[in-house]
Amino acid sequence: MNRVWWVLVLAMAVLSCHGRAAVVGGGLARVRAAGVLRWGGDIQGGEPYVYEDSEHGGRLTGFEVELANALARELGVRAQFVQNDWSALIPTLERGTFDVALNGVEVTPQRVGRVRFTRPYYIFGARLMARRNDPSVQPTLASLRGRRVGTLANSFSYELLRNVAEVVPYEGVEEPYIDLVQGRTDAVLLDDIIAARYGEPKPELRVAGDLADGYYSIALRPADDDLRAALDAALARITASGELERILRGANIFNDRQRRLVTWTDDDQRRMLGTAAAGQRFGWSHVALFGKGALVTLLLSALAMCIAIPLGLGLAVARLYGPSALSRIAGAYVELYRGTPVLLQLYVLYYGLAPIVKLNALSAAVLGLGMNYAAYEAEVYRAGIQAVPRGQMEAALSLGMTTPLALRRVVLPQAFRLALPSVTNDFIALLKDSSLVSVITVVELTKQMTITAVDIRGWGLPGALCALMYFTMSYPLSLLAQRLEARLARS
Amino acid sequence: MIEVHELRKVYGDRTILDGITASFARGQVVALVGPSGGGKSTLLRCLNGLESFDGGAVTVGGDRLVPGGAKANRAALHRVRQRVGMVFQQWNLFAHRTALGNVIEAPVHVKRVPLAEATERGKALLARVGLSHREGAYPHEMSGGEQQRVAIARALAMDPEALLLDEPTSALDPERVGEVLDVLGALAADGLTMLVVTHEMRFARDVSHRTLVLHGGRIIEDGPSREVIDHPKHERTRAFLGLDRR
Repeated sequence: MNRVWWVLVLAMAVLSCHGRAAVVGGGLARVRAAGVLRWGGDIQGGEPYVYEDSEHGGRLTGFEVELANALARELGVRAQFVQNDWSALIPTLERGTFDVALNGVEVTPQRVGRVRFTRPYYIFGARLMARRNDPSVQPTLASLRGRRVGTLANSFSYELLRNVAEVVPYEGVEEPYIDLVQGRTDAVLLDDIIAARYGEPKPELRVAGDLADGYYSIALRPADDDLRAALDAALARITASGELERILRGANIFNDRQRRLVTWTDDDQRRMLGTAAAGQRFGWSHVALFGKGALVTLLLSALAMCIAIPLGLGLAVARLYGPSALSRIAGAYVELYRGTPVLLQLYVLYYGLAPIVKLNALSAAVLGLGMNYAAYEAEVYRAGIQAVPRGQMEAALSLGMTTPLALRRVVLPQAFRLALPSVTNDFIALLKDSSLVSVITVVELTKQMTITAVDIRGWGLPGALCALMYFTMSYPLSLLAQRLEARLARS
Repeated sequence: MIEVHELRKVYGDRTILDGITASFARGQVVALVGPSGGGKSTLLRCLNGLESFDGGAVTVGGDRLVPGGAKANRAALHRVRQRVGMVFQQWNLFAHRTALGNVIEAPVHVKRVPLAEATERGKALLARVGLSHREGAYPHEMSGGEQQRVAIARALAMDPEALLLDEPTSALDPERVGEVLDVLGALAADGLTMLVVTHEMRFARDVSHRTLVLHGGRIIEDGPSREVIDHPKHERTRAFLGLDRR
């Protein structure tokens, strides 16, 4: 049991180190000395923010690239882009990997409590989209009460919808609209720039209206307040000179809302930042949510295994004993599912096949994981079947059994016993792999952890609890596997 | 009841069985002897279709096996295997079943005998091979001799018309050989048809009625056991028996 505690203590230590800025002292002096302003963003966010221009050999393009270049010029330095996953921009900023986060970072109360924001460089509308044939969605938050509404996790819109609608959190900007067309959600609330690019081109969808104004600002570490002031001054200069307008017009995203940027005052800034939402304390309500997430993880894994075990058994038997066509199909299945990422398989199952079979997220997750793990189970059983001595089959056949009966009564029970430790180990792996299904909007334990980490502005406690819960689920299974192995070794 | 006609089997360029013709009558106990690689075990395994062959035919009762393996003989194989039981050198008891479980497995699942009836019969068979006290033992808990006696009881449970035994005592410790031979002797006395591949010349001479000597895939000597073993005609048989006695 001692070993267990060491692992936990180590996990806590690693997690609590997270979030401490590696760099201290004046940010402005540091940037000037280095001669570079390192700005973090995610090219996956795509047009028009920051993206690789395929027509120009993958050159970095986007209105934020131009903005970063203009600001760096104003500071007398060079701008340098640092690629980082969008959802982790703030933690990475805190770590000190780059000086500023500049990539559609929306001003939300949670973030205000955590980082310093400059004045905004873009004002967006939280745009509500619905299906053209569904008039029940009105351009008010109230009309969304109890409806399923898609948005990006931890975004400005996510905060608006919280406690109002049933929020379906996505990790990409295209998928919410695909699901809306498919009828898996009732509406999508996202920044107008995203809606214009990914939602409005779809003929099945309509714009219901804009619910609120939101702001893109540059985020900095609290310690770099002098750099924040310098960037504010630079932003003010390029806004007044009309350069910002030119950049936005170049990206075709300038509209009347942006005129407020020119007259932006300290009062506007105070209103935008609002009262920094007092960071939520990690409490029992969070623990309850984690418990729910853990239940989803467990249910998902158990159901997926209920598919994987019989399907894997069928595949293994087909491969070893089936007629050659069936055997080849089973072999191809195993190689295909083992040879491609499960993430891709989940995408194909949930989004790719949506026009043909409209699975809900949980069913798609169970089916996707189950079908993937079936390939691994098939190999485990195949090894198990081959480890049963040939004489067992011969003895069964000699007693007048048919091959299927001999398999069922003699070979498979022994093969299954041989395979059981591996199957248990696979189940432990599945428990953790199940976190991948958050890409198709299932909120399981890991997703719950990342959502909570933003709410309470810290990864330490949620991370430790999340780790503890996974551990609590997998350790007994691990003990079980050890006992099964020991029993196998004895007989 | 078993007819073998011009049986041929080849592995690549090696001829394992080179045109074997023989017939075995009901109630006969036949010993198949000869040097290793002579084709004894292969012949035995062809008789119940565990091995396919390339030419000739095997007829058991009214069922005929032809070249082509399981595909060509599906229906006949099933019936042949219910007519003749098989006992292996390595016993091949079902590792996940007890002694009694091994004996009743096929009656219950192949012949659909009610469990209670099969159990009663199974216990009687275990008593017959002297293992009443080991009913609940698993194979890995038993000695080789005990396992082989369970294997014989398991084969008898299907009421076979004949028993094929493939070197039933070769894998046993010397002090365990006797207990298995005693059981086989009792079965022979009861009139059971048996074909036994064996290196036990004493058993062949004293228990079996007829001895076949196989060499190079052919039958080189066939006759009453005492005559073949005491007065072998073929020089190969003499050499083989001479080696065996040394």
